[in-house]
Amino acid sequence: MTQDELFAALSAEFPAVARAEVPVKDHLTVRLPGPDVLLPLASWLKRRGFGLLDMLTATDFSGPTDMKGFVGGGNFNVFLPDGAAPQVAPVAAPGYRYRPVLDLLWSFVSIADKARVIVRLEVPRENASAPSLSGLFKAADWQERETFDLLGVRYEGHPNLTKILTPDFLQGHPLRKDYVHVKDRFDD
Amino acid sequence: MTDASAAAVPALKSDQLFINLGPQHPSTHGVLRVGLTIEGEVIVKAVPDIGYLHRGSEKLAEARNYHHCVVLTDRWDYVSAMPNNLAFCLAAERLMGVKAPPRADALRVLMCELNRIASHLLFFGTYGIDTGAFTPFLYAFREREMVLDLFEMLCGARLTYNYIRLGGVMLDVPPEWLKRAAEFVEYLKPRLDEYDSLLSYNPIFMARTQGVGLVSAEEAVAWGLTGPNLRGSGVDYDVRRHDPYCGYEAYDFEVPLGEKGSCWDRYMCRVREMRQSARLVEQVLAKLPDGPFMATGVAKIPKPPAGESYAHVEASRGDLGIYLVSDGGMSPFRLHARAPSFMNLSILQEKLVGMKIADVIAMLGSIDIVLGEVDR
Repeated sequence: MTQDELFAALSAEFPAVARAEVPVKDHLTVRLPGPDVLLPLASWLKRRGFGLLDMLTATDFSGPTDMKGFVGGGNFNVFLPDGAAPQVAPVAAPGYRYRPVLDLLWSFVSIADKARVIVRLEVPRENASAPSLSGLFKAADWQERETFDLLGVRYEGHPNLTKILTPDFLQGHPLRKDYVHVKDRFDD
Repeated sequence: MTDASAAAVPALKSDQLFINLGPQHPSTHGVLRVGLTIEGEVIVKAVPDIGYLHRGSEKLAEARNYHHCVVLTDRWDYVSAMPNNLAFCLAAERLMGVKAPPRADALRVLMCELNRIASHLLFFGTYGIDTGAFTPFLYAFREREMVLDLFEMLCGARLTYNYIRLGGVMLDVPPEWLKRAAEFVEYLKPRLDEYDSLLSYNPIFMARTQGVGLVSAEEAVAWGLTGPNLRGSGVDYDVRRHDPYCGYEAYDFEVPLGEKGSCWDRYMCRVREMRQSARLVEQVLAKLPDGPFMATGVAKIPKPPAGESYAHVEASRGDLGIYLVSDGGMSPFRLHARAPSFMNLSILQEKLVGMKIADVIAMLGSIDIVLGEVDR
């Protein structure tokens, strides 16, 4: 099944779903108009053989990474003279469309058809939330917990949405661009 | 016995008991804690607790240039680091529009397959220990040491290679190396038969693993298992076949499948895969193309055009996917690793329920996780 055939079948069922303006290279990438389309689309995909929820993640597009989110500077280089700027400090790239959203991403794979669909949804950074797919795909369970832990997306309907990777005392969501590291007893 | 004496005997009480498996336990292969609630010998609840090894490599990548990020990937699955390097390099190359030359592709396949052999040998040895057979471990490590020596001769490192670079590989192989690699494969092939008689068809081992930890094909797909764990359940999904990279479509190899999805099936998939990897290594060695080992036009500090890419490879433990976002700057705007061990481990919370304690180790071992990759 080519990408165009798949997209034609998909948009016949869900006319509001469009191709994403920035696709993931070489893969069919679609953008949802709103969170309420996600569950019908996911169950439709599952019926069509896309039974493997391969990847689930999110990206914070609010701007370049804040260096205060790192413990010892970005790329600590012992050969740099004292006081020199780190080699790589993220700066805003000119012309890039930064926007205060979390861009959620789901990647569905059909093993029989050797096809992949990447589904994206933009949600505001404040109180970011989306429907949970853990009822349809067991694979969503830990991946949603991971995204919740690292990016602070609430997946509504998840049975156990708790921290999974970061320690209990850690405040904030590290993969958000404005994350600021609070010094703790393990830093020195 | 009168009624009065029967009343004096208290009813048999069986309380639930909570025990910690790990984080410091030899059979958890790293720092994994599983909170087990047991009733007698049977597990009623299992809660895997991970994150002890979380280093935030996805965040660290956001303040490093692309060449530095390859070093971070080594630390995920540290017993088979070549596929990690490769997955990142493929994603970054797709973003930059760079294509590795044919010799580099062949060397990448060669190194990934040798690394798969080393990784599966480690599994073979430690799984024997998990199930009570100590001897296979010594045999497996004898062979694994030879692969690590080859890698040491190649790039100086035994575990964290940083050998596969953006646009190609770090160095061309020394002529002596190719001869030694061919010798190693010749040495390994009869050993694989030896392993079968030593452990695979050992009646005690089979009784310990066959019919234990059954995972059906539907469950395996639903939980997102990949690699030998998925193929052990009989699902034919191998990235090398389904989405070929680095010229895998040109090589002749089989994808071993299990039948029932028991611990033994998953084990056998890995043991049979070693033979296929040995075949692949032979094929690459036989027709290693000449030419450059590094593409031209890879900058010292690459700044790929703004965009997004995804690349995945069949790593030793499953489908390792890298999602990269570039904003046009010198470091990745976002790096996400779809780590196979992380996904494979998540099925434990369901599968351990109802098992006996003694089988937990057999199940945990057969999933073959590396905690560096689970926690990233």
